Amino acid sequence: MEKPIIFIKDTSLTGDSSREIQTQLLKVAREKGIEDLQVIRVADLGIYDKGVALKICSLDIIYVNVKLSDAEKIIQTTIKEGTPIEDLLLENQAMQTRIVLRNCGIVDPESIDDYISRSGYASVGKCLFDMTPETVIEEMKKSGLRGRGGAGFPTWMKWNLARGSFGDEKYVICNADEGDPGAYMDRSVLEGDPHSVIEGMIIAGYAIGASKGFAYIRAEYPLAIERVQKAIDQAYEKGLLGKDILGSKFSFDLEIRLGAGAFVCGEETALIASIEGKRGTPKPRPPYPSDRGLWDKPTIINNVETLANIAVIFQKGAEWFATIGTDKSKGTKVFAVTGKVKNSGLVEIAMGTPLRDIVFQISGGCFVPENKMIAVQTGGPSGGVIPEKNFDTPVSYEHLIELGSIMGSGGMIVMDEDDCLVDISKFYLKFCVDESCGKCAPCRIGGYQMLAILEKITAGKGTLEDITSIKRIAQGMQKASLCALGQTAPNPVMSTLRYFESEYLDHIEKKKCRAGKCTKLLKFTIVPEKCKKCRLCVTNCPVNAISGDREKGYTIDQEKCIKCGRCFDVCKFEAIARA
Amino acid sequence: MVQLTRDDLKKVQPKIKAGQQYVKVGMSTCGIAAGAQEVFELFTKEIKQHDLNVVVTKTGCLGMCHAEPLVEVSVEGLPSVIYGRVNGEVAHRIIEEHVCGKRLVNDHIFDLPIRR
Repeated sequence: MEKPIIFIKDTSLTGDSSREIQTQLLKVAREKGIEDLQVIRVADLGIYDKGVALKICSLDIIYVNVKLSDAEKIIQTTIKEGTPIEDLLLENQAMQTRIVLRNCGIVDPESIDDYISRSGYASVGKCLFDMTPETVIEEMKKSGLRGRGGAGFPTWMKWNLARGSFGDEKYVICNADEGDPGAYMDRSVLEGDPHSVIEGMIIAGYAIGASKGFAYIRAEYPLAIERVQKAIDQAYEKGLLGKDILGSKFSFDLEIRLGAGAFVCGEETALIASIEGKRGTPKPRPPYPSDRGLWDKPTIINNVETLANIAVIFQKGAEWFATIGTDKSKGTKVFAVTGKVKNSGLVEIAMGTPLRDIVFQISGGCFVPENKMIAVQTGGPSGGVIPEKNFDTPVSYEHLIELGSIMGSGGMIVMDEDDCLVDISKFYLKFCVDESCGKCAPCRIGGYQMLAILEKITAGKGTLEDITSIKRIAQGMQKASLCALGQTAPNPVMSTLRYFESEYLDHIEKKKCRAGKCTKLLKFTIVPEKCKKCRLCVTNCPVNAISGDREKGYTIDQEKCIKCGRCFDVCKFEAIARA
Repeated sequence: MVQLTRDDLKKVQPKIKAGQQYVKVGMSTCGIAAGAQEVFELFTKEIKQHDLNVVVTKTGCLGMCHAEPLVEVSVEGLPSVIYGRVNGEVAHRIIEEHVCGKRLVNDHIFDLPIRR
């Protein structure tokens, strides 16, 4: 039998009583003649704010809110007799479900044998020998998989359109031009499990009748490029790419194309132009790529995460896949949770999981425990902000659109009360303005003008008419822009206006920034009554803007002050006022 | 080049055979940025020095990017566990206490509730 091991962690925010309980458990165990029990303090159990938590490893039982007096009972009932104690059991814990990340962190990404031994490439075998392209597409339809790049277009439909189009050559493209600020799910999949994406591409190729594929990876991901290249070489070596795959009649070639680092190249028509060697600018659609894509041949473009799902669907069956998720959004979604959150990292959850579970239970809540979380931003520069009051909304394509945001490719940025929403939306808009290719006027001019208005508001020079202007420009951009970049660029601004209009009004009418992020609205002064004349602010000021002496007291020269907030942070007596 | 057939796929053995003791170091960009390369080299060196029957291998990102570098350790008689924020000092302790002494190391384990 495995040695009994208990993990212990004090998950409360105040104090740490895990050591006492650890000692007590060991003491009781010794009294009862269990000598080989290990009680180990751990750094994280994935449980937060539930008192002292214990995990009995061999039984996979988790207890929460454990008191010192429970030690006796736990050792006797659970360790000796093997029965759980109902009162202490953890309930309703949100769990991650890993489908896309199934192999990440488990296999060696540079070893094809590791991947094959975990049923890798079995789905290629199944499709090539047991299924026709039509039944492959039928199976995809049953699974309900939708594009994970953000828009959520049904994958089977894309494949079916490309299959139906006439062309002597067809292409499969993997879109790995991940550009949203703070999102890195695709990079992790490519670096941790490149073969799953290659397998997905082979199946897609078989389904639409393509014999050539391109992995379009952004050049800023050198490690991902290296690992994918290695994986492609290994697959060729084993006859899993190239001519007559697995001895069947189907052939498929795959090569990497590097992205040039423009955000707009993630848009499918721009991406195609970039592969063709042209300047990466979007084209009006139709014709859609499934009709006339790369070199005017029928082409499908799937996101990395979409492709990583495909092998599992054929391995475990479309019915199984369709049981996960909600009515219209099937399967799981990987989010890169970043920002003011305790555990930043990748989280893969079944669709339909409430946002609250993701940010509070799985990611552990606010980075600074005392702060209040106010919103999360999903979908990057094309998405919107979801306020705290809507955190119980289940995550799915439809629900997030209803809230004025989008699923997006999976960036999730958590914001707390120290963030200014006007400043955040300015940041995202600036990103889109910088990345706009300049081809169409609504995006090029509209974005620039909207940014100018936001600059004005955050500088304290805004008027109420500005909000009307923003709304008008946004409408124009949404209706008239050529591609999704321009159409969705106003989303962060519009969604913050929808939920946090009062913040805009504060900036305009009261000339105040609640979070103190808009530096032009800030003024630091010294409160003489509270000042103990310790000179800490004087020595810390990087621009020597604070002058005076111990007798007369100190003052801040507003001309010199750069509003960095150093004095405010270092003062121990709250003698610096920020207004 | 070898042309694998469908039946060959089932015969392929993983790098780490069942029952083999191993140390897996998370070596994606996030891990390497946090110092996983050093940790990987240190484990390789130490295990050679102590002449232990343990395979050291690299792997992808486990998702707990806040706790990189992550190291998964599995030795006989103990469940496989994940250590986070591993540096040189922690790596030494893992070798000495966990791999050689068969006692898990306090305060560095990161456990994730995941359904696979």
